[in-house]
Amino acid sequence: MSESQALETQLAAPATDDLAPPPKSLWQRFEQVILGTTSIVLLLIVWELLPRLITMGAGTKLFFTTPSQIGGTLWKMFATGTVWTPLGVSASGFAVGLAFAIVVGLPLGVLIGRSRTLNAMFDPFITAFNATPRLVFLPLVLLWFGLGLWSKVVIVFIGALFPILINTYEGVRNSDKLLINVVRSFGAKEWDVARLVVIPNAMPYIIAGLRLAIGRAVLGVVVAEFFGSESGLGVMMVQAAGRYQVDIVFSGLIIFAVMTLAMTAAVQVLENRLSRWRPQRAGGE
Amino acid sequence: MAQIVVKDAAPPIPFTEQYRSMLLGFLSVALFLAAWQAVFLFVPFNPLFISKPTLIAASFYELVTSGELFRELAVSAVPFTYGFSAAVVVGVTVGIVMGWRTRVGYALDPLMTVFYASPLVALAPLVIVFFGVGVSGKAIIIFLLSVFPFIFNAQAGVRAVDWMLIFLFHDPATTEKDLYLKVIFPSVLPYIVAGARIAIGRGLIGVLVAEFFAASEGIGYAIARYGDLFALDKMFACIVAIMIIAVVMTEGIRWAERSAFPWRVGQ
Amino acid sequence: MAYIQGRNVNLTFRPPNRNPVKALSNFDIDVEEGEFLSIVGPSGCGKSTFLNAILGLLRIDSGDLLMSSKPILGPGTDRAMVFQEFGLLPWRTVQDNVALGLELKGVPAETRRNVCRGLIDMVGLTGFEGHYPHELSGGMKQRVGLARALATDPDVLLMDEPFAALDAQTRDIMQAELLRIWQKARKTVLFVTHQIEEAIYLSDRVMVMTKRPGRAKRMFAIGLPRPRDYEMRVTPEFNELKLQIWNELKDEITV
Repeated sequence: MSESQALETQLAAPATDDLAPPPKSLWQRFEQVILGTTSIVLLLIVWELLPRLITMGAGTKLFFTTPSQIGGTLWKMFATGTVWTPLGVSASGFAVGLAFAIVVGLPLGVLIGRSRTLNAMFDPFITAFNATPRLVFLPLVLLWFGLGLWSKVVIVFIGALFPILINTYEGVRNSDKLLINVVRSFGAKEWDVARLVVIPNAMPYIIAGLRLAIGRAVLGVVVAEFFGSESGLGVMMVQAAGRYQVDIVFSGLIIFAVMTLAMTAAVQVLENRLSRWRPQRAGGE
Repeated sequence: MAQIVVKDAAPPIPFTEQYRSMLLGFLSVALFLAAWQAVFLFVPFNPLFISKPTLIAASFYELVTSGELFRELAVSAVPFTYGFSAAVVVGVTVGIVMGWRTRVGYALDPLMTVFYASPLVALAPLVIVFFGVGVSGKAIIIFLLSVFPFIFNAQAGVRAVDWMLIFLFHDPATTEKDLYLKVIFPSVLPYIVAGARIAIGRGLIGVLVAEFFAASEGIGYAIARYGDLFALDKMFACIVAIMIIAVVMTEGIRWAERSAFPWRVGQ
Repeated sequence: MAYIQGRNVNLTFRPPNRNPVKALSNFDIDVEEGEFLSIVGPSGCGKSTFLNAILGLLRIDSGDLLMSSKPILGPGTDRAMVFQEFGLLPWRTVQDNVALGLELKGVPAETRRNVCRGLIDMVGLTGFEGHYPHELSGGMKQRVGLARALATDPDVLLMDEPFAALDAQTRDIMQAELLRIWQKARKTVLFVTHQIEEAIYLSDRVMVMTKRPGRAKRMFAIGLPRPRDYEMRVTPEFNELKLQIWNELKDEITV
């Protein structure tokens, strides 16, 4: 497995502090916030006013929805409480699948990272499955697990497993041999080595993998629900699409997006808590 | 007195040592296939539920020789090419502009982050319903899914450009276009290629989603149809075909990256 | 019987996918208890390897390597090493780093804290207990390394070019500090270095090793009185020793 596999997966889902430009002055930060907010607001305004500004064919009109409509629908969904059941179903599929992925991926990643033999043996499978879009297994999974929670869980699991596995593996393999020797010389057994050196060293990688896995897990839920579920947000969206209820589709999309962002932020908080020993990158040092 | 010493000729390392990883890899795949085949000596074989390596290989051969595999792949390839090429052009351009013009980057970053965080796949049914089941619908989905890796990576590539080079080469006579083409582009290329590697995976997802949802042809449709028909061996064969394509494309790009940009090993 | 004794020690490295390398060949050594012995030799001659063998991280292929008449089979709390690249765990504070050996030994937290506090004071790092390694200078990091090695109260202190990563001025200070601390604790010290001056300044005896595969070439007794001070480095006796050792060493160096 080439080293770039883990790192390039990080590149696709930018950890904002990795790709951020060097520390900014107060004015630059201010500028950044203003420009960012302005562009979003501008976009929303233009979108909102579009139907009034241009004339659309009947077909397009059927499909067109505005931010205010979407907002209204979202509000209604939460106010009437109709959103909670499907959200709960989707969220549980997400959570269970992700949990399995962590439970399998972390220890396996550690084992594969520590053993060159295991690494060589697992590599072809990991490379093949990682390159292949998980979706290709969906019909098979549906065949085996039927509609319902379990096929959803399996799809989420397959999607989330690989970033976690690969990044854990990379983090473990990246262990400083010197430190391993150091703790061994003070009497550390294999488990101590893992606890004292390997795992703390691998933490940043594991967190990055977790971040990626979250995105993939959400994708997995959406896709699984489109094709193989009876309930859930994704099902709601697909049915709405069929009925030309575009505002519901976008509402669902927004909910999923918020879910992803919220979880990613939570992971970021976790990472910051665990990274106090690292040299800070903030400007002014 | 300090001497110059020539190292003695080293004894050759045995073949098994050198290629140990590769051999182990082959071995484990072979073992896996053998175990898969052999498990049915103990467990009853239900062809409606699963298939065996031998049957899958036979189906694969049949699909290839009858030309059906290539037909289906060709159908899927058309919208993929359109969507992916559009993604490259649009994504790289937008990404470069966002990286080069910092303010544009500032303005669009939050937007892009939101787009990236949303499972855009969720819009696939909508796109299909609106644009129909043909090439355009699929191409648009593929475009939507594969454009973002290009945007982000191109942006990152521009940000990573060694600005010293820019200042050294910048004299009043150089037009901005020249600067883009001759200095920025070669530096950004490795990032773009890495982005391509990721975008391919996402584009393939686009193909499959579109075809699973509502299509009458294409490789994704083939997989779904064989599933419906319980022709598990053919289904597995198609899955294997896609795996091969995905691996070849991804590893192929990775190999190209290594040879074209060897200084970026480990990036 | 010497405290640490090596007879006909042979050790060969077998890295994966590469040719084996013979590090030590018929290596003999006698180390007396409580002495400060330096080992100098050309790069790659096996001196660090030997130290690792005593530490117990490397197994010898043949010959005897004995401490207190017992063969060395693995790491133990009677020996501890100070590493050239410091080897501090970056995710642990100074205090927790020093406590590493004690923690692995199972010493209760209260005792650990007391011992560590004493050692941190001894190496001159009072007030830095809660700092992380990235906040420390090279010299400070090595002090932590020293404190850590002394925490388990080993009988033998192994030092593998501990000051090589420091700048010259810090190095001089650390050498004096090391002697100061050693006077108090009087452990057996095996000190590996490239620098002849450093070896003479610190030690009771200096051993010169041949180039790889390493073998004991010659042992020099350092007659300078203790406690040593900086002025001794410019005396004629010092320079005489330096010349003698250099003459032994230079034939082994290949460029």
